[in-house]
Amino acid sequence: MTASAATAVASRPQADRPPLVRLRGLTKSYGSMVAVKPLDLDIQSGDFYALLGPSGCGKTTLLRMIGGFTEPTAGTVEIDGVDVTRMGPERRPTNMVFQGYGLFPHMTVRQNIAYGLKLAKLPAAEVETRVKEIIGLVRLEQLAERRPDGLSGGQAQRVALARALVMRPRVLLLDEPLAALDLQLRKAMQEELRRIHRSIGGTFVFVTHDQGEAMALANRIAVMDAGACVQEGGPEEIYGAPRTRFISTFIGEANVLPGRRQGGRVTLEAGGSFADAGADEAVVVVVRPEAMALGGNLPQGAVKLTGRLADSVFLGPYVRYRVELPGGGEIILHSQDFALRHRLAVDDTVEVGWTTDVQRVLADR
Amino acid sequence: MTTRFARIVWFVFGAAAVFFMLSPLLLLVLFSFGRNSLASFPMRGVTFDWYRALFANQDFWVAFQNSVVVSLSVGVTSVLVGMLAAFAFARMKKRRAGPLLALLTVPLMMPPLVLALALFSAYAALHIPLSVWTVVPGQVVFIQPFVILVVYARMADFDESVIDSARDLGASPMRAFLTVTLPIIRPTVIGAALIAMALSLDEFIITYYTIGGGLTLPTLVWGMLRRSLDPSINALATLILIGTLGATMLAIRATRYRG
Repeated sequence: MTASAATAVASRPQADRPPLVRLRGLTKSYGSMVAVKPLDLDIQSGDFYALLGPSGCGKTTLLRMIGGFTEPTAGTVEIDGVDVTRMGPERRPTNMVFQGYGLFPHMTVRQNIAYGLKLAKLPAAEVETRVKEIIGLVRLEQLAERRPDGLSGGQAQRVALARALVMRPRVLLLDEPLAALDLQLRKAMQEELRRIHRSIGGTFVFVTHDQGEAMALANRIAVMDAGACVQEGGPEEIYGAPRTRFISTFIGEANVLPGRRQGGRVTLEAGGSFADAGADEAVVVVVRPEAMALGGNLPQGAVKLTGRLADSVFLGPYVRYRVELPGGGEIILHSQDFALRHRLAVDDTVEVGWTTDVQRVLADR
Repeated sequence: MTTRFARIVWFVFGAAAVFFMLSPLLLLVLFSFGRNSLASFPMRGVTFDWYRALFANQDFWVAFQNSVVVSLSVGVTSVLVGMLAAFAFARMKKRRAGPLLALLTVPLMMPPLVLALALFSAYAALHIPLSVWTVVPGQVVFIQPFVILVVYARMADFDESVIDSARDLGASPMRAFLTVTLPIIRPTVIGAALIAMALSLDEFIITYYTIGGGLTLPTLVWGMLRRSLDPSINALATLILIGTLGATMLAIRATRYRG
């Protein structure tokens, strides 16, 4: 593989320490349906960790197994060096923000937040200080005496967050924390979550199907598909060096061009070829839209394809071109050469191309 | 104007229908305060004599005590068992819970007379002597399904994530039930208990067949009716009516939807 795009690896200052959460061979099946295939995963202390995948990929089941809500069929969950696999959620050093928030409707915001501390039989004075502190952190001072049915989605979200954080968990688990909020609010809550993670310095693990959200929040991402973790790494690594065709299209936009490798040379179905060492097999070549060049901008030694310019849209920071290939495929291309746009017209025959150092060649399975 | 006319006609028609259906009850209450010894007009004055006569009757107090014991026992038993059953059903898939619920509610659809005879023969075959304590399980068979249906309806749309939250925050399963589940569904449970008690209080056929020599208020009415048309029966029936209606109204208040 010519995988020189695998450049930056996310900074993990504590990578040499033993992981805070260590999953080994963790499996969950319901009858013959396997929700999570045997899976190993390490989460370091201080990580903001995303479990990312399409719905039904097993990411929520995995999160619930870490929290103790779903019993694994096989494998172990270790937190802070302690095997917690057989422990109920009440005995684990984790707390969870549920997708539907799970606020207690018969209690006020303050009572909701104090619930866990009171169960732990903390002195009343300490309960009060800690609740007050956390209410300040998530900015709920005005709403402390309200009941959950008098809260908006974003407010309920912050109560659920406060209720989990006040327990000072070793690991905070969040199940699709922002899915129920509208776009505007989601952006604001993303910032809020980053701020809170910075200010308390804890370990957050969250589940999401939104790759943008994973990129925006996490310093570490595990991409899941069909019950398996298909790639694990920092956001740059996953974006720059996707390991499979699924990941390359699930994370960001990508052009996926089918072809064949024969005797150390890949020939694309759309035309164009380049040298690439490896076994003789069907392959796909993955190129990000921003790594493609058009017309006169083609660099030396680029892989070239010819097609018909079908569309060009000015999007502010860049121009988005769509080029239809003779074989029926198409190429999406982002360019910041704004002058070029005026020299090209729709239906022109154009050349697109890229250098082999920005592509990923993956076996097509 | 025609719409207004139509509205008046509908109102009069509705009022007449309601009056027709309720008038026997009204008459019964009315005559329990009448001076006449027969239920006939004209009434010759108002009196509490029939209530006095009723309260002087030893049988009334025995029956009253039995009725209280039976309704309370049936209320508590059917709520405890019914709540557990409803929880179990609510956790099942709807496709599986449906047929089981239908099976459990068969006693509701059976003629009570058949159920009563079945219970009577079963007790006889098992040589269990009939008493108040054979009435209670008999009534539970019949009344239980009401409780299950009421509590199940509430549990079916219960947000399970509050229980997960409670567990997550350190509550044992029992503690989560006591501090979260029960307080949330309390109105429903109280309502179901009151409905069960109201049904038990005026249940006649099953009681009649399974109580042996004893009396509850409805079987006392039946016994008194066979001897005479004493207006103190009206007084007794009025009291039963008040008890049943009172419990039902409290039940409706308790289970009322609070959005």
